[in-house]
Amino acid sequence: MTKFWLIAWHEYSRHVFRKRFLIVLFSVPLMIAFMVVLVIAIIIMETSSKPVGYIDHSGLLLNPILQPRVEWPEQYVQMVAYTDETSADVDLQAKKIQAYYIIPEDYLQAGQVKLIFLSKLKGSDEEQFAAFLRVNLLANQAPQVAKRILAGNTIITLSADKSRQASQEQFINILMPLLAGILFIVGMSTSSGYLMQAVVEEKENRTMEIMVTSVSPNQLMTGKVIADIAIGVTQLVVWAIFIILALVIGKNYVPWLGGLSFSGEMIGVIIAVMVPAFIMISGLMAAVGATVSEGSEGQQIMGLFTIPIWIPYIFIGAFIQNPNSPLAIAMSLFPLTAPMTITIRMSFTTIPAWQLIASVIILVLSAIGAVWLAGRAFRLGMLRYGQRIHWKEVFSHQKV
Amino acid sequence: MLSSNLRKDSTCMPTVEISHISKSFGELKAVDDVSFEVNKGEIFGLLGPNGAGKTTSIRILLDIFKPDAGNVSILGGPMNEAKKDLIGYMPEERGMYQDIQLDRCLVYLGTLKGIEPAELHKRITGYLERFDLASSRYKKVKELSKGMQQKAQLITTLVHEPELVIIDEPFSGLDPINTQMVKDLLREQRDRGVTILMSTHQMHQVEELCDRIVLIDHGRTVLYGHLDEIRNQFSGHAVIVRTPDELPTLPGVEHVEQHNSSAYRLNLTPSTNTQDVLRSLVERGIRIDQFEIAAPTLDEIFIRVVQPANQEQGDKL
Repeated sequence: MTKFWLIAWHEYSRHVFRKRFLIVLFSVPLMIAFMVVLVIAIIIMETSSKPVGYIDHSGLLLNPILQPRVEWPEQYVQMVAYTDETSADVDLQAKKIQAYYIIPEDYLQAGQVKLIFLSKLKGSDEEQFAAFLRVNLLANQAPQVAKRILAGNTIITLSADKSRQASQEQFINILMPLLAGILFIVGMSTSSGYLMQAVVEEKENRTMEIMVTSVSPNQLMTGKVIADIAIGVTQLVVWAIFIILALVIGKNYVPWLGGLSFSGEMIGVIIAVMVPAFIMISGLMAAVGATVSEGSEGQQIMGLFTIPIWIPYIFIGAFIQNPNSPLAIAMSLFPLTAPMTITIRMSFTTIPAWQLIASVIILVLSAIGAVWLAGRAFRLGMLRYGQRIHWKEVFSHQKV
Repeated sequence: MLSSNLRKDSTCMPTVEISHISKSFGELKAVDDVSFEVNKGEIFGLLGPNGAGKTTSIRILLDIFKPDAGNVSILGGPMNEAKKDLIGYMPEERGMYQDIQLDRCLVYLGTLKGIEPAELHKRITGYLERFDLASSRYKKVKELSKGMQQKAQLITTLVHEPELVIIDEPFSGLDPINTQMVKDLLREQRDRGVTILMSTHQMHQVEELCDRIVLIDHGRTVLYGHLDEIRNQFSGHAVIVRTPDELPTLPGVEHVEQHNSSAYRLNLTPSTNTQDVLRSLVERGIRIDQFEIAAPTLDEIFIRVVQPANQEQGDKL
């Protein structure tokens, strides 16, 4: 087996089976689970199983049709009819009902109802009473007409070339490239941090000298970069599985998640941008690891690369307003800002093909340059124990 | 296949040939025109004071550093990736992964030398038992003592049965029992035909183990050759006599000085033969416990060679 696979497997298993990694790995799903629980808790808090009363003076609800069923965690509210306010008041004071509505005689003309309550009615319960009135108002309509009216309108916005569309129900799709980009960058940053840490550790514990007498620095570096990418992919796959699970389960309860879909074009562009970006960041992190003498120093220098990656996030407002501005185009072409800028712009515009191609070419060239730089910094810095090498040495004509 | 070819070729030429290598780091000339050869199946000593350029020379030899000038030939030619599997290297700065189990660390470093895991496990088991480390096999490396880590490092150096062993300060951190075990191991390796290049400050170990040496100081070669020849080169015209008796005045002896509590150093005139001195002692009824040609120890030679150079360097500064 080529030695860099041995190195890659060693690095991968050494990091992936570490407690620290597993904590980071499962912190995202745990966070998602926490958010889901939070949302469920909020929904439960917004609804109550206690009945709601009504006194109908309009005659609309003589033979009432029940409101549509609701999905868990919302709770179905029973509507109880009263003939007069006195009996309704007695039950309200006895807390048998949450509140009661008075539907006046001129309801069909005025469209107004009165609500009597001791404490404010929960939002979902109010909505259920509104639904109760709607179905009864439409009781005399043909079923398909009633269904159509109850479903309401959906406005679909199309891009000029008709390649992209957005609607209220599908607005999650607009955010998908952005969310995927953020996920990718978080995964890339954390796994590249491990790579830098591994290189610094090998310098600190003097394993480096043994390693380079067994394999070439290029093989060593290749193995480490492969491991880094594999660690990143592991994180992304685990996170993606949990996120997809959350979305699939969530769309049963959250209607706007129902429009969720993944386009091949979106996945293709993200992969084309993120893979060279990943290699570029790995190379830069390995180069940092080779030049510094301590892990803490490396963390500081790491910021020089990770901050530009997140800068486009600051301009998200400007990109939404004008996704094809010169700033957006420039940041799409600058390798460190390209991954985030491209994913943000993809959410709000159709990026011209030449810009995508140029960005990917620049990223690929940057990745090659970063790996070359890492190799050179590595050869220069691998045996400088306790002292950092200067970047001008890396770029000098010194023979390594 | 390549490995067997390399083994065949290397029998007819020096295992290591270093020819006029130089290397500078900025203003500092770490190695300046150093040349030496290491022959197959010998234990060769690379000596020098701290900062003399020994480690830099070794790193150039191993292709970790490229020399600014000069050539290196190792196992019959320039260094390449296949040859790395035939070399065992134990650097002065010991290096092992601290947060993994010893067994895993040894297996990983061994597989990087091209040995199959099954074979490696067998060999590692043998070495761990020999080095009394079997009970620590599944402990994390950082839980081992310095001496135990030193022995573990030796296992990584030898487990792939290298043809050339380069070993820097092999005895540091070892107690006398383990020192003896390592010496036996190095002799055993040499007897198997393994070439050993050893760098150390412990001159008595060099005297005991090495056939030939090179001494470098301030990056330059100051002594190179067979140990006996070097000793002869530095021996004065004198004999050491150990006797419980008082020494009388002897013909041909310029002056007598106390060598240690029971021995004397007799400095002879240029025309005096050492055999005549022995005969004179016997004729005078002196009881002789020891009689030997006074050859300096390697420690003495080291100090005599290195001190003037340091003095000269100090004068220049």
